[in-house]
Amino acid sequence: MRIRVLGFASVQDVFGEEEVTLELEEGATTAALEKALIAQYPMLADTWPRLAIAVDGALVPGDQQTLLSDGCEVALLPPVSGG
Amino acid sequence: MSHVELVETPLDPTSLEASIAGPDCGAVLVFVGRVRNHHAGRSVERLTYSAYRPLALQAMQRIVDDLESAAEGPLRATIVHRLGDVEAGAASVIIAVASAHRAAAYDASREALERLKREVPIWKREHYADGEAVWREEERLVAPDDAGAS
Repeated sequence: MRIRVLGFASVQDVFGEEEVTLELEEGATTAALEKALIAQYPMLADTWPRLAIAVDGALVPGDQQTLLSDGCEVALLPPVSGG
Repeated sequence: MSHVELVETPLDPTSLEASIAGPDCGAVLVFVGRVRNHHAGRSVERLTYSAYRPLALQAMQRIVDDLESAAEGPLRATIVHRLGDVEAGAASVIIAVASAHRAAAYDASREALERLKREVPIWKREHYADGEAVWREEERLVAPDDAGAS
């Protein structure tokens, strides 16, 4: 499955761009996404526990059990600082 | 009319006040957040704001909807946040609230800002006078039904 991953703030700095694409097995969850991303971007390992994750525009629970689908958009959201 | 917006141009508190005011409301409160030229003892030249726009707009709208539905009398709330580079001294966010009486306006104005800072995917990058720039990471977003969150 092709997964689009949007990075924001410090995550975008790690990616070096706004969006990266990942290939994952059918049935992959956000846990598999974490493993694949950290393998490719080891600097994410320290940040990951602080990230919130959105799939197709909606925040998902932190239990890492969310199923991903082909073409879905995942957003990695560091702690926010608006206002 | 209540509304929420993300813009890339300078903010105008006067027009936002006018857009939310009405003869049914005796209190109109406008909060203007401006970029401060210092943080933790360092001189700040500007901030750069970015957002995950679809979720940010949705979260801002939910704040406004919640405030309106919780109010006993008329209440209108508007939140406009600026994105991109904002120089020290310039406005980065405006929250305008109109209500029949002042108590509800004071409460809603405060709650809107506190919730914005906790729930909306917007980030600021501080640019210091010495050239360094740092993303501020302050409030971890929590999914509404996330039992495992702290």
